[in-house]
Amino acid sequence: MSTSLGGYMGKVALVDLTTQSVSEYPWTDEQRKKFIGGKIMAAKILCDNLKGTETPFSEENLIVVTTGPLTGTGAPSSGRFNLSTISPQTGYITSSNCGGSFGYYLKRAGMDALILKGKCPERSWLVIENDRFTFRSAEADGIWGQKVTPAQERMEAILTEQWGARRGFGQMVIGPAGENQVLYSSVISGERAAGRTGVGAVFGWKNLKGIAVTGNHEFHISDPEKMTRWNSKWFDYLRRHPLTGNQLPRMGTAGLVSSMQMRGMLSTKNYTYGRYDDFELVNGETLAEEHNIVNRGCLTCPIKCARTVSVEGKEVKGPELETLGLLGGGILNNDLSLILKWNNDLDELGMDTISCASTLAWAMEANEKGLWSNGLKFGETDGVSRVFEDIAYRRGVGDELAQGSKRLAEKYGGLDFAIQSKGLELAAYEPRRAVGQGLGYAVSNRGGCHLNGGYLVILEGLGLFTNPQTPHAKADFTMMFQDLMEMISATGQCLFTSYAFFPGFLITRPNGVVTRIANAAIPFIGWAVRGINKCPTALALHLPVFHHTKGVKYATGMPMTFGKYIRCGERGYTLERWVDVRFGASAKVDTLPKRLTDTPQDPKDPKTKVPLEQMKKTYYRARGWDQNGIPTERTLKKLGIIE
Amino acid sequence: MVHVKLFGLLRLDTGLKELNAEAGSVKALYPILLEASKKAKPDTKITAADIDGCIVIINGAQSKKSSRLSDGDEVWLMSPVCGG
Repeated sequence: MSTSLGGYMGKVALVDLTTQSVSEYPWTDEQRKKFIGGKIMAAKILCDNLKGTETPFSEENLIVVTTGPLTGTGAPSSGRFNLSTISPQTGYITSSNCGGSFGYYLKRAGMDALILKGKCPERSWLVIENDRFTFRSAEADGIWGQKVTPAQERMEAILTEQWGARRGFGQMVIGPAGENQVLYSSVISGERAAGRTGVGAVFGWKNLKGIAVTGNHEFHISDPEKMTRWNSKWFDYLRRHPLTGNQLPRMGTAGLVSSMQMRGMLSTKNYTYGRYDDFELVNGETLAEEHNIVNRGCLTCPIKCARTVSVEGKEVKGPELETLGLLGGGILNNDLSLILKWNNDLDELGMDTISCASTLAWAMEANEKGLWSNGLKFGETDGVSRVFEDIAYRRGVGDELAQGSKRLAEKYGGLDFAIQSKGLELAAYEPRRAVGQGLGYAVSNRGGCHLNGGYLVILEGLGLFTNPQTPHAKADFTMMFQDLMEMISATGQCLFTSYAFFPGFLITRPNGVVTRIANAAIPFIGWAVRGINKCPTALALHLPVFHHTKGVKYATGMPMTFGKYIRCGERGYTLERWVDVRFGASAKVDTLPKRLTDTPQDPKDPKTKVPLEQMKKTYYRARGWDQNGIPTERTLKKLGIIE
Repeated sequence: MVHVKLFGLLRLDTGLKELNAEAGSVKALYPILLEASKKAKPDTKITAADIDGCIVIINGAQSKKSSRLSDGDEVWLMSPVCGG
């Protein structure tokens, strides 16, 4: 099937792992216009193929690998791909996004997406060269059982022998954790991770160790001249912006640790506190001064947020903020060298650092409270490396920890301090000091994710400084930011490009008059944001600070404005919710642990907790969902999700 | 004497992690920091405007640039950051 739109290759391959056969999945230009690509496209495919009775570990569950229309167009930070499936951690739809170059090469092979169904009869890996799909034995090739780097090196050696050294290709693999179905296993591509929600475990259950792809198809861009000029402007804008051109390249996300400490937002001792006394030993400044060798980026990325550090004499990827927070103050560890090592260990084993660290913190507290005798103690780090191996290989206590904090708490007690939502552990941002972020964690389609939740901390102390305790306007901004990020992701771009949405002076001049007015005004302009959310298409324009809309227009030829862009994001977000509802989601699962909603972080300040129920009602209303959190028929029709 | 700690890009740009200073106000710290930065990092391009754009925390509480300082105060100067 071809396409008249630019930016797309016009083909979706349906791969039956059981029979090892490939067919073309019907996908029309009408669907491309409505569901764009990436996670939104994947949600539509899952919606059309899943009834809601499938379990994550079943032949019926699909893995949908998608790219976006900007992938391969030279747009900034567009070297991303998406993996969607039913998550073994949450039981709901998930989308796990990854940098690197796999998405680019999938399109070079002539495909916008791959759908994987069934289960390989034996442990396999899949090699794609244009239209040619070859299943190889992962055991005979010496790949199964390997950690991530040796597995990728072995794949590379085999493919280099087959294709020659000059042929570029993309690859992704799981580690031992995925093979053993640790519920929070990741998929790794190069050194980048589709880290969250356990997609790696679904790969492992399906006996699929990895995928490599190459091809020689040409990209078609609707208006190549304008696209080239626009990309040049866009790169320049991102390089000049104080966040994307200075802070993130120089400090990465690790630069947030000290600000979070200042705001009382740094998860400490399993979210008992929001400040860690030893934070200076594990913050981004110390990482930059003592450990960072160079910063790296994904394909076509001017931001280059990744840290490269030295661990045991090797140059490896350094930790992100979430890992620093959760494996630092989260378990009362002040040894940064250990965090660097653990971060690398977890990547090599193929495990999500956030869920793993948070599960560990929960287990330490459960041990401290006498609920589960497991030998793990806050501040004791000697055996932690061994515990990570035990989790990946499902040995002893590790076998239990492999289930994540929610399931463990259901078995041993301690749900009130299992810091998760829908089974997915929260990132390191403590929401009792950023209540809008708390709402986002709770209503996020894929569980306790800071990004899928809308990332309201950017208004509540990490960026702007609006009142972090007030619920006013938070639901409306949450919806808008979720929808914007949904669409950015669907087009194949990195969410970090959205940070340049805020004019630089608002960030670099926090004490300036305009910034102070903005901070004060935000809680009072919910009505205006609500109006835009209700009828975004009225904004039939392009914003000078938001280059994405023209990028999509020039690449695809689709008419696109800021309003249409938001509406597409809204469609995607509600579609994902609609799939979640099929799997049992409702207001009852949009929750946070009681520690965050019922116990003030500061005992002297009753406001330092998340007023979740109040904000949820406003949020559902804003989204056109009923009070039980179910999208209404009217909303589904308005968004074109149902006829 | 007040104890000053620097965070974020300000710390990388000045080459200063912390220092003790005699200053009665936050603004009075600026020339002291600029001078110390020149010694710590001779190629520094830091300006008073850069310091002026920082977030000020005195003894753990966010404060104003115009705040007076007392002997024994701990002052944090932090470059604004976001995005993670």
